[in-house]
Amino acid sequence: MKVTDLLIDTGRVDLDGFDRALGDPTDPAASLSFARSAELDRDERFPADICRELDRMGLPRLYVPAEFGGALTRYDELVAALRAVARRDLTVAIGHGKTFLGGVCMWLAGRPEQARELGADIIAGAPVSWGLTERGHGSDLLAGEMTATPEPGGFRVHGEKWMINNATRGTLLCLLVRTRPEGGPRGFSLLLADKRRLPADRWRPLPKVPTHGIRGADISGIALDDCPFPADALIGEQGAGLEIVLKALQLTRTACTALSLGAADQAVRLAEEFAARRELYGRRLIELPHVRCVLGEAYAALYAAEIVSVLAARSVHTLPEEMTVISAVAKSYVPTRVDELIAACGELLGARAFLTEVHEHGAFQKLERDHRVVGIFDGSTFVNQQVLINHFPVLARGHQEGTADEEAVGRAADLSAPPPPARLDRLSLLARGGCSFTQSLHTASGELRAWACAGEAPARVAELAEELTHSCDRLHRELALCPPASQDVQPEAFALARRYEQCFAGAAALRVWLHNHTPGEDPLWLEAVLTYVLRSVRPPGRPTGGEVFDRLFDARAAGRPAAPPTSVVIS
Amino acid sequence: MINKTGSRDAHAGIARPDDDPAGASINGPAAAAIADLERRFGDPWDPGNPTGHAAVLAADEAGEMLAAGEQLLDGYRLNAEFVPPELGGRLARLDHLIEVMRVVFRHDPCLGLGYGAGSLVPAVNVWAAGDARQRRRMAEVLLAGGRAVSGYHELAHGNDFARAEFSALPGDDGRLRLNGRKEVIANARRAEAMVIFARTSAAPGSRSHSQLFVEKADLPAGAPVHLPRFHSAGMRGVQLGGLEFRDCPIPADAVLGAPGLGMETALRSFQVTRTALPAMTAGILETGLEVAARFADERVLYGRSLAGMPHIRSILADAFTDLLICDCLGTVTARSVHLLPGETSLYASAAKYFVATLLMDATYALSRVLGAQFYIRDGGYGIFQKHLRDLAPAGFGHTARVACLSTVLPQLPRLARKGWLDDAQPPAGVFHLGADLPPLPFERLSVSSGGRDSLSASLSAALGSSELDGELRRLVLVIAAEQADLQRECAALPPGDLTVAARPEALRLAARYAAVLAAIACVNIWLHNQERHDAFLSDPRWAVAALGRIAERVGRDSGQRPRHVTERLSAEVLSRRRDRRGFGLSNRRLPG
Repeated sequence: MKVTDLLIDTGRVDLDGFDRALGDPTDPAASLSFARSAELDRDERFPADICRELDRMGLPRLYVPAEFGGALTRYDELVAALRAVARRDLTVAIGHGKTFLGGVCMWLAGRPEQARELGADIIAGAPVSWGLTERGHGSDLLAGEMTATPEPGGFRVHGEKWMINNATRGTLLCLLVRTRPEGGPRGFSLLLADKRRLPADRWRPLPKVPTHGIRGADISGIALDDCPFPADALIGEQGAGLEIVLKALQLTRTACTALSLGAADQAVRLAEEFAARRELYGRRLIELPHVRCVLGEAYAALYAAEIVSVLAARSVHTLPEEMTVISAVAKSYVPTRVDELIAACGELLGARAFLTEVHEHGAFQKLERDHRVVGIFDGSTFVNQQVLINHFPVLARGHQEGTADEEAVGRAADLSAPPPPARLDRLSLLARGGCSFTQSLHTASGELRAWACAGEAPARVAELAEELTHSCDRLHRELALCPPASQDVQPEAFALARRYEQCFAGAAALRVWLHNHTPGEDPLWLEAVLTYVLRSVRPPGRPTGGEVFDRLFDARAAGRPAAPPTSVVIS
Repeated sequence: MINKTGSRDAHAGIARPDDDPAGASINGPAAAAIADLERRFGDPWDPGNPTGHAAVLAADEAGEMLAAGEQLLDGYRLNAEFVPPELGGRLARLDHLIEVMRVVFRHDPCLGLGYGAGSLVPAVNVWAAGDARQRRRMAEVLLAGGRAVSGYHELAHGNDFARAEFSALPGDDGRLRLNGRKEVIANARRAEAMVIFARTSAAPGSRSHSQLFVEKADLPAGAPVHLPRFHSAGMRGVQLGGLEFRDCPIPADAVLGAPGLGMETALRSFQVTRTALPAMTAGILETGLEVAARFADERVLYGRSLAGMPHIRSILADAFTDLLICDCLGTVTARSVHLLPGETSLYASAAKYFVATLLMDATYALSRVLGAQFYIRDGGYGIFQKHLRDLAPAGFGHTARVACLSTVLPQLPRLARKGWLDDAQPPAGVFHLGADLPPLPFERLSVSSGGRDSLSASLSAALGSSELDGELRRLVLVIAAEQADLQRECAALPPGDLTVAARPEALRLAARYAAVLAAIACVNIWLHNQERHDAFLSDPRWAVAALGRIAERVGRDSGQRPRHVTERLSAEVLSRRRDRRGFGLSNRRLPG
């Protein structure tokens, strides 16, 4: 592959060109091929040459906001680019994309010259890592023990960060450190560790952790032994570390859902191609009704996931105050649905989802193992559902009062227009007004009903939307009754959170259709997504037919347009 | 009558370490043999144990069988478990075999498949269809510590055996000539005896295949050609290979049973192995549950133990419930093979589908309790991810789940119109854990149940029991409603839905049938084992949880599970972990 010009640069983000340049992974000569990925995975080697290739295409620029010298002006573009890489190899996407996670705290809270300096390092190809977690504490950031003691001219830092992506490869690490011995919400701060400047005898990398998937990734750690840090390593104010991290996570969790989309794209493709070729019982597998239904439903799941992911990314621009809820929903919903999708596709593939060399070099079993990490890192599914549960009172109140910013929802959902500039200063730890997407379901289903009356949409789709609206209202009445979150969150609260996520996905899908459909377009994909989400929202005892998934599959197979505009066409 | 499901202290009735119902489901010599096997394996958590988790993980990393484990099983003479008593072995009862193999799977699924199931499947075909010589030879090979393999799979044809291309056609000298390849076979290189599924007639149809019993010693030098090893994401230690034969002569008397009955022999024999394999594999979920409970006990998050968090406790309770469901269905199906061999075609396939599904779903749910620790291949909990990877073949191996449903489905309309109207009850021994069983009636296994299904009839009998009350009775009525709906829907199935081209809704009927069967097994195990002095087993709360989970799975409203039920189950999980007891119905004490 020849790259003469940067495909991603300030003021010019050529995502189509980027995708073309990445090539066809089934071609062993492509730089991101299944063959090469399988080899690296087997040997547990970091895909360094592939990452350098991505550097040459300009991908690191997309990790740096334009104001600090990079190309990032739209979070949906970041999602699209990461998805394109993840569609070929999740290990590469996770290994390379980590630099975005490493930089976010700086973009949110760093001094402008400090941020521009980090931006220049990233654009020059320096990997940046993010050191939050420690051995034995998992997601409990308040338990962090790495301590920075202020001293003249800076800090002295002691402790370990562990299970950190790129801790060893990273030139720079953004570290969450305890700056008050007693800890607490104001007891932590952020320091940028620049390994080029730290005294070599005061830090050491911790060994690579052998992992279930992403075996080639650099999952390791760093130990600091009373290591001196200059005062200007501080990012944001002293004591503000936790708050900055919780805001940064709203961006990183949103971006991470792109990894799931890439995995889902690949899983469905591998299963569908296999089913199309496979002869069984005298016919091709793809002709069997249950196989078509499984694949049709997998597409519905993929559409639901990608709509949530893309609208969450655009909401960074239009609904920053609500991002704490929206990002938690996205990070909980998308990886979980994609885990299920992968399992369903794996069942069709049978032994070919298990063997590591046959069928596209064992790409399926690799993506299955690799993808399991997405539901774990950057806040596990449970952690994100906990965020959502903490918001039940404001969600219930907001839903009742109807404080939705309908215009902002529309701007997030109208994919034909670029979103307004992101207002990261408006990110908040509490979405005081609740969530505009679910609140505006009434308006949205009313609009769909109007289209149905005008003959532009089948009445049954409007009925599905109305059913979702009523389910969402009922859910919010239950949220209001849920006792305020304490330490003893009951399993029922998690069940409510799962239903909320499905309502959100349905609301988002409805919006995407309303704001992007063309005259005469069959809303088949919308019908499939609404059916898919209602399946988990309906009270038990009311079975949901799968006939629409069959129609969806037929339409796709016949080449009719049956995908939302968030979908990517895989060549 | 006291409402047995009324609110009670969640901790009441938890087995104390000194009241040991060990061997609850297994008595006498079999119990001693299992205790002996447990002793040999020792405490898996001991890092110095050559067959402990650390050693098992190291072998997995190296992609090799655990040599110390193979020696241990040699010493135990595990192969004797696969040979009927009249041929010198210990295969008298399927429930015992399952219990023994479950110990092996709990420690290392690679040993379970590579040392155990790999030989069991071909052996059962010989017991079911072989003549005296073939049976004697297979027994001799196994009792001498040799390995047997079965060659069914051809990657290009999957579960569609009828398309198998491998052929064994007569040559000029009257001997058969083997041509073709069989793929993804555990232990292919180490096999001394093989059972191979081959086309023995060029005619189309289901009577053109036979099974062949072939001994390595009878083959000409250089045969078979071994295909390169297939590497896999799970079961990494098991050497998956392939066999290729090119015009290889074998004796004409190699055919098992009458020529052309290969498909029928396989379908009959698979009833034994489809019953046994998933039930053995439940050992994986047992280890998963233990690791997750251990993690929950050890992990402190946000200043408190994970084991104290209601959400985590409910996941542990759910997984434990699923394991008990698997145990009930597995045990009842295994006992039915002895007592109701004519009906087993139905039960074995339904059980294989349902048990495999529950095992995979429950293990996935537990992986989420472990969070990031699930993802690490070493350290204190690294054994979990190995077991998770090793579980995958339960879904597609030895007949994929959907193929099992396709076996059940065509039998349902006839049952709906006739069999389910018959109130003939199964022998009570089907539900009595540990009760005596007649010998395994290989010759009476049948490819179809002939429209009989006495297990299903036992649901209404259970409802007639005065023992059944409160919450449990309510849930049995929910299951009965599901059974009634099933009957109505199955009776209306059009013929086109009974083929492989069945609509998804039709296949779903077979899945729902399996779920109802599981519920029937659970409620009857509870009803029929009250005299067993196992306080946990007698407590209806596990059965309440089980029926609730099953009802939810088929999409029925099971109502909110009472909190004390969840508490009772999660407390049991944690206390069994701390007391080193197994999580199955047998509630056995474990070494360590």
